[in-house]
Order: sequence, then C-alpha cells, then structure tokens
Amino acid sequence: MAEEKDNTAETKTKVELEQLPEGVILRDHVYDGIREYDQRLPNWWLFTLYIMIVFFIGYWVAYYQFGWIKSDVERLDEGMAVVKAAQVRELEKVAENLDDTALWKMSQDTAVVAAGEKTFQTVCFACHGKDLSATMAGNKLPGEPLNDAIWKYGEGTPMGIYNIVMKGSPDITKGMVAFEGQLGAKGVVETVAYILSYHEPKSDGSAQPKGK
Amino acid sequence: MTDGMSTQKAGLKQTIEFDDKSVRWFMGASIVWALVAMLVGVIIAFQLNFWQVNGKFLEWITFGAFKTEGLQYITFGRLRPLHTNAAIFAFVGNMMFAGIYYSTQRLCKCRTASDLLSRIHFWGWQLIIVGAAVTLPIGLTRGKEYAELIWPINIAVAVIWLVFAFNFLWTLKKRNEPSLYVALWFYIATIITITVLYVVNHLQIPTSLTHAYPVFSGVQDALVQWWYGHNAVAFFLTTPMLGIMYYFLPKAADRPVYSYRLSIIHFWSLVFIYIWAGPHHLLNTALPKWLQMLAMFFSLMLWAPSWGGMLNGLLTLRGAWDKLRTDPVIKFFVAAVTFYGMCTFEGPLLAIRSVNALSHYTDWTIGHVHSGTLGWNGFLAAGMFYWMAPRLWKTKLWSESLANMHFWVGLIGILLYVGSMWVAGIMQGLLLNETDETGTRLIYEFAETVDKINLLLFARALGGTLFLVGFILLAVNIYKTARSGQATNGTVEVFVEEKKKQDGMTWSEVFRNDPIAYTFWIIVFMLLWFFLPPYANWMALGITLILTWLAVRAFKKSTNTWAGWYEHLLENYMPFTVLVFIAMAIGGAIQIIPTVTVNRAKNIEDRLQVPYTPLELAGRDIYVSEGCYNCHSQMIRTLVPEVMRYGDYSRLGESIYDFPHQWGSKRTGPDLAREAGKRGDDWHFAHMMDPRSLNSQSRMPNYIWLAHKDTDIKALPSKIAVQRRLGVPYEAMTKNVILDQAKKQAQEIASRLIDAQVSIPEKAGVELPSSEAAKEYLQKKQIVALIAYLQKLGTYVEVTPEGAAGHKPATIKPGLPDTYRPDKKPATVVPEKTPAEPEK
Repeated sequence: MAEEKDNTAETKTKVELEQLPEGVILRDHVYDGIREYDQRLPNWWLFTLYIMIVFFIGYWVAYYQFGWIKSDVERLDEGMAVVKAAQVRELEKVAENLDDTALWKMSQDTAVVAAGEKTFQTVCFACHGKDLSATMAGNKLPGEPLNDAIWKYGEGTPMGIYNIVMKGSPDITKGMVAFEGQLGAKGVVETVAYILSYHEPKSDGSAQPKGK
Repeated sequence: MTDGMSTQKAGLKQTIEFDDKSVRWFMGASIVWALVAMLVGVIIAFQLNFWQVNGKFLEWITFGAFKTEGLQYITFGRLRPLHTNAAIFAFVGNMMFAGIYYSTQRLCKCRTASDLLSRIHFWGWQLIIVGAAVTLPIGLTRGKEYAELIWPINIAVAVIWLVFAFNFLWTLKKRNEPSLYVALWFYIATIITITVLYVVNHLQIPTSLTHAYPVFSGVQDALVQWWYGHNAVAFFLTTPMLGIMYYFLPKAADRPVYSYRLSIIHFWSLVFIYIWAGPHHLLNTALPKWLQMLAMFFSLMLWAPSWGGMLNGLLTLRGAWDKLRTDPVIKFFVAAVTFYGMCTFEGPLLAIRSVNALSHYTDWTIGHVHSGTLGWNGFLAAGMFYWMAPRLWKTKLWSESLANMHFWVGLIGILLYVGSMWVAGIMQGLLLNETDETGTRLIYEFAETVDKINLLLFARALGGTLFLVGFILLAVNIYKTARSGQATNGTVEVFVEEKKKQDGMTWSEVFRNDPIAYTFWIIVFMLLWFFLPPYANWMALGITLILTWLAVRAFKKSTNTWAGWYEHLLENYMPFTVLVFIAMAIGGAIQIIPTVTVNRAKNIEDRLQVPYTPLELAGRDIYVSEGCYNCHSQMIRTLVPEVMRYGDYSRLGESIYDFPHQWGSKRTGPDLAREAGKRGDDWHFAHMMDPRSLNSQSRMPNYIWLAHKDTDIKALPSKIAVQRRLGVPYEAMTKNVILDQAKKQAQEIASRLIDAQVSIPEKAGVELPSSEAAKEYLQKKQIVALIAYLQKLGTYVEVTPEGAAGHKPATIKPGLPDTYRPDKKPATVVPEKTPAEPEK
C-alpha cells in the first residue's frame, strides 16, 4: 500500500500565490489535487460557434424556404446535359461521313491506328488479348477473338463493329459493355481503325484477316 | 497486494485502498492488443501495395516450405474488420477502462464498487476480443463497419458493457466526494451513449448460430449504421479520451484546468450536437437531403465545441510549458491534444458536402481517422501509461530516453501516415474526376488512379510501421518498469462526516428551473422549424430566436442562480446521467425515427429493387462474408464524374431489400452498384480467379477458394424466412422450392461458364475429366452464387412513388423538410448511359 500524498494544501498555496489576470477566478473546489480556473471563453471561439449557427440558419432558409440553391438532382441533370451535348457534338464531328469506307480508310492511317492501338492495349486487351486472339498464354479470355473472320454480332462490317463498341453487345448479360462513355466517339473510331488494320474487306463488306 | 476492501476505521477517518489491480490488467491488455491491432494494420496496409501479401509472400518468407496461392483468412476484406475492431475495442477500449478505473476511484475517493464486477468486466472483455479474432478471419461477419461481430458476441458485448456501466454508476453512488468532476461527466456520456448506439445498431434476427440479418435495410440501415459508426468515434474514441485528458493532464502538469465554464459549455454542446452529425458519412448519396443538410451543419457547429476540449487541454499547460522539454508524459499529451484539434478541424471540413464530394471514398478519410486513433488516442494512451506505470508499481519509469525515442518515432510515423493519406486522397479524388478537353470522357480507369497513389500507400504503410515500432518501445519500457517495482495500490483517507450533501436533489428541482425550461423550449421550436410546413416554420424559427434572446437575458440577470443550480446538479449523479441521456437522445431520435417508421413504399423515389433469388441471396452473403465492402462501394453519388463512370445515380429504392446495406465507405476498387450485365459471367470468373489477367493494375487478391468451396444453400430456407419477416416480398416457398430454384440457377451459370471454356484452378484431389463433370462440380461452388449476385446488382423496376407529383400538404401538419422545398423547374430526364435492364 502506498499512501497517495494528498497535495491539495500544497497545490492550493502554490497556485493561490500566483497573480490572476482580471476576471479569472480560481475555484475553491479541489478534486484529487486538481483545481480549476473559471475564465471567460475566448471571443474567437464563441464567434466560431455563432458564425456556424448563423450559416446553418441562413443556408437552410435559402434552400428550403426560398429554393435559391439547386438540389443535387437539378445540379447533376444540368451537368450531365452539358456532357451529353458535348458528346453529341463530338459524335457529329466524328461520325460526319462516317461509314465503312471511311473506317477502312482510317485503318490505313498510321496516326489513327497508333492512337487506337494505345487504347486497345490498355483497355481492350484484357478480354481480347494483346494479339486480338482472345487468349493469353494459351488460356481463353472472356472476349471474342478479333483476328478471324467470325463476327458474332454486327455482321463484321466496320460500322457494325463500331456500333458494338459504342453501345455494347446486344445481350449485355453475356457480352461486352458499351464503351461510348469511357472512350468517347473518337476513341472508339480509333480503336476500330486499329482492329481493322489487321483486316481487309471481303466481298460482302465484312472484315477478314489480311492475306486470307 | 491485497484484494478486496481493506478499510480501517479510525474514528471518523477511513483509509480506502483503491483497486489498482484492475487498472494494471486493463493497461497490460491494452498494450498487448495495441501491438496486435497495429501489426494487423501494417499487414493490410502492405496488402494494398502488394496483393501477394496474403499468399505468395508467405511462400517467400518460408523459402517455399509453405505453399499457397493465397490464404482466405488473411485477405484485406477479412483482416480490415479485425484491424478496426481491435484498434477501437481492444486497444482503445482497454486503455479507456484502465483510465476510467484509475481516475474514477480517485475522483470519487472510493474503491470501485465491486471487485467481482471488475474481474468479470476484464475477463469478459478479453474473451470477446479473442472471439472477434477467431470469427472475423474465418469470414463470420455482419458486414457493417465496426459492427462486424456476429450476434452471440454482440450479446456478450452488451452484457459486459452493462456490467461495466453498473459497476461505474454504483461507484458513483458510493462516492465520498459529493461533486462530480468534469472527467466523470465525460465518462457518464460515454457509458450512456455507447449503450444506446450499440443496441440499436445491433438489432437483428438470427438465421443460424453464426449468422443474422439486421432488422434495417438499405437507407435505414445506412442511416442507423453511420449514426452508430460516427458516434462510436464520438463516444468511444473521443468523450472517454477527453475525460482521461481532464484527469491526467492537469495531474501531470500540476496546473489548474484552464476554464470550468468552458468545460460546461463544451461538454453539453458536444453531447447534444455530436449525435446529429452521423449522416455526414452519407453525403451526396441517396440519403434524403434534409438528413444530409442536418449532418453537414451540425458537423460545422461541432467545430467550436470540439475545440473547447483542445483549448482546455492546451491552455491548462500555461505555466508548465517548460515541462515539455523534460517530461515525456507532457510531450505525449501535448501532441495528443494537438492531434485532437487538428482532427476536429478536419472533421467538419470533410463534412462540407462539396469537400466530401472529392474526399469521400478516398484515403483522405482513412488518414483522418488515423490522426484520431493514432495521433489523439494513441499518444494520449502512451502519455497515460508512462504516467501511471511508475505509480502503479511504485517505482520510476525504467527509461525516460526510451520514452522520448518512442515519442519521436511515433510522431514521424503518424505524420508520414497522415501526410501521405492527404495527398493520396486528394490526388485520387482529382484523378477520378478528370476529363479530357472535350469534357465527354474520363481519362483514368479506376485501377490506374490507385496505381498512381502506389508510392503514397507505401509511405503510409511505412508510417504505420514506425508507429508500431514506437509502441513496441512502450511495451518494453512499461514491462521493465513493472519488473523493477512492486505492484502497489493507491489509498486515500476520507472523513465519514464529509459525506452526504450529495444525491438529494428532487426531480422537480432537476427539471423545473430556468436553464432546463429555456433549453427545452428552444429545442422544441428548433425542431418545429425543421418540420413544419412553410410559414409555420418561419414562426417557429422566430420563436426559437426570441427564446434564445430571452434565455441569454435571463442568464445574465441571474447568473448565480443558474450556476448554483448546475453546481447542485453536479452533486447528484443520477439526475446528471438522465440529463445527459436526454441531450444525447434527441439528435438520433429526430433523424432515425422518421426514416425507419415510414413504410418502405414512402421511402422510395421512382425505382424499386428486384428482390434477390435464393442463389443470389447466397451469393450476397458470400460477398458480405469476404468483406468486399471494404474496397467496393455500391452507391453512385449524385455527382457528374460518378455518373459518367458508373452509370445513373443510385436511388433510395434500389437497395431497399439489402440487409445489411453495402454502400461502403472507401473505394480501393470501383463501385459495383450497377455491375449487373456490364460484363459476362466468364469475365467475372476469370477476374475472381486472377484479377491481374484482366487488369494488370489490379491489387485484388486471387479468390481461388471460391471455385472450390461449396455454397451453403442449406441455410437458404431459414435466411429467406427471416427476410420475409423483415418485409422482403418473397412468395411463400417450401424448402424444396427454394433449393430447386437455387440449384437450377446455379446449373445455368455453371453451364455458361464451362461452355465459355473458363479454366478452373487446379486442386489436389479434384479431377474433372469431362465438361459434364466440370459443370456438376462448379454449380455447387461459391463462385457461381457470387456471380449470380454480381449479375443482379442494380436491377430495379420503375414505380410511381406514393404522394409524388409535387405533393404539398395544405394543412399545418409536420412533414419532412424535403417535401416543402419549392420546385424551381421540373427535373430534366437524363437518358441512361449504362442501363441496367429491369427484370421482366
């Protein structure tokens, strides 16, 4: 057992001898040797509290009473409308005169194909393979092979491929997701051009691997 | 060392020996669990850099003796709950109990009421922790953050907590010091509030011995969860720490507390305001706007009350700053209180909706909580242990220089941690929002943004490691100190006659007086202002302001009466406790009751979730059990980049049958709210087996065991029975119908997978010679159920909500604020980008 020295008396004298600033009270009560001053709250502290309360009331009134501030959905809708409009503009620009012939032509353009290759090898390769074979180290990947003449959807025409990449496969529970949002129309066109660069047109307009 | 009360009566004078044995035990337990919690933290931090840590890494460090492709027990999803629970309940919990038992006895000048209850409390709590450490890694979880422990353990926690509460209040009753010191106010608030929070957030219906569904779902569950989650931080990691600060800091500094008046104001405002702030974890989500608004503004109003605690701590050191150079205890306390100040500055900042839009779901939040738990709680714990140990063992601290070294190692660690998380969070937030010059597409894939903060995540892991090293130094120092001394219990002498001015207040004295009356009516009219329809609410606001003005005037006129009443109240522990309960209960009640009592149909906007099929439900429970929510959210917020990335924003009704909700709180992987149909089944299979085969930057572990573990479909009938009771519109199905449905759906998925030539990972003893055998094998496995679930996420039907179309009540009847807001213009309909097709 250790006698815990109750240093109340000692603390009292030591602290009480100190000169207290104006308005500061040293309270009488001592708790296990702990004493308390009683002094004014700092003004900046009080004003932090008051300003936040005023801000609360002001904002609430502005939002609910007057409807001055847009709701989340209103703001989101406006933001998405801007994005949509820009997408439509881009699509119009890119898709102007976009047809099979144009896409075939782009597949000869090394700059376009290079851009498409970059996209393909960072995004599409995961399912379609680095070499478009939809395999990796002999294992089947989830995507369809793109280096053959078999086209599950879209009849294998350049515009057919373009539409699948833009909008996703017809049965979305099994196939590919739409890439319009992630790649944008321009990105999709470049990617399609890259894929087509491995192909040449068949008599029915669909793509077949070069040299077959 | 003597057990039990040894009271020597010498006339009117008594010598009371304190029960410091419990304090020593709790302190030891706290240190041991701190090391465990921090070690687990370091491991999972490195897992975010190196996904191999739960697998290949074990091969490397055992030089190939231990072969594994990945251990399911130590994935991030399973260990993170262990880390958070251990840090909160084991480390800080035991530390809090040590501090409370030590200081309460001294502030009450009496021994803890019952040694038996103290022992039950100690051992019960440690058993609970062991239970948590066993159940969480094997995947038994409730899937709610910091509330993951399964229901039998929940009951144990509640019982042990009540043992503690009873023991504490009984000690107050027996006290030999009439007036309650401010530290005790904070302890009372802790005990009362945690009891309420814990019970409400753990209401659940068991489906088996180890599994239960919470009674709330979707938005209701989210609201209750974050009311709990946020206030667990408030009343488990903050108020007891403030109490501890109020006792140990003036003791160590040997200076009077800065201001009693500030103690009163900041205590009551903290208790009243804190509880409202919970929904700030759900800003910009599908949570109704009025709750988001209340959460944001109450968080901002919390700024000053929180800083009141910091001021009272730091300013108490006036006249003792010289000790900062020499005394490691003061160093730790100053750093702790400073971190508290920083953390409570950051909190309201993060609660501003526009800041939160960037910060939420990123590592900024993780940095924020660690500046709280490591900087504030961890340093306070260290200071308290270094101060108590020499007193508990009647000796000197074994090594002051080691303690100083701990301080600097720990400080560098936490600064590295918090700093890198700030940068990581802000950077990832910005990267995720970045669009190209046309504004039509996002630049970065999700995994790319994580890859870009790789180095910062590594710096964080190093910071955490340093903090752990510091705590190892503490453990050594305390152990050596204990060995060098003799376990000693403190004593105090009290005069019996001094007793009993206390606890004589009548309830009428408690409630019928000016301070209570003014406070009561101000709060009543404030609430009316929230809920009354237009014009009536103006009046309510006006009356609130007038009452406030009158209250201030009355206080100025009769300051002494008000102060006298309060001092009288301090001598009555029960009335004080009741008032704390009322102050704390208001916020939670106002926010939660309207949301949980209105029926489901009124809670939804325009879309209603399609209930899960039996197999999907089984898959969902696997998702929860693997702790996927620790990295993936299921909540697309009302923000443009989020809608561009993940699809149309999430509606309330779309998770209305989710027990528990899985909105998540942090994204190390992308949101999954609209995952259904985005990718094929075979993609999911390949991805779960080896995520890097499909995304080289992924850091998700390989979930190989899902292809070999059977789905527990036998549990489905009792699960569905409980869901029906909870209001999910399942038809009445016999056991066989449920099992048949599940099997049929599993067969379909397994066939699709095998037809798509997925490669099933090899396993010893498993041979699948034909595709028929492979289908037969695969359909029973967890991966199939999980894929079924993933392919359901975000499936809804369109509905017309009740009372829609600009419903405006004409009568003066209270209603939710969101129904009163004037419509500026009809919302334009946004065509869906990635539609999740409604089923049927």
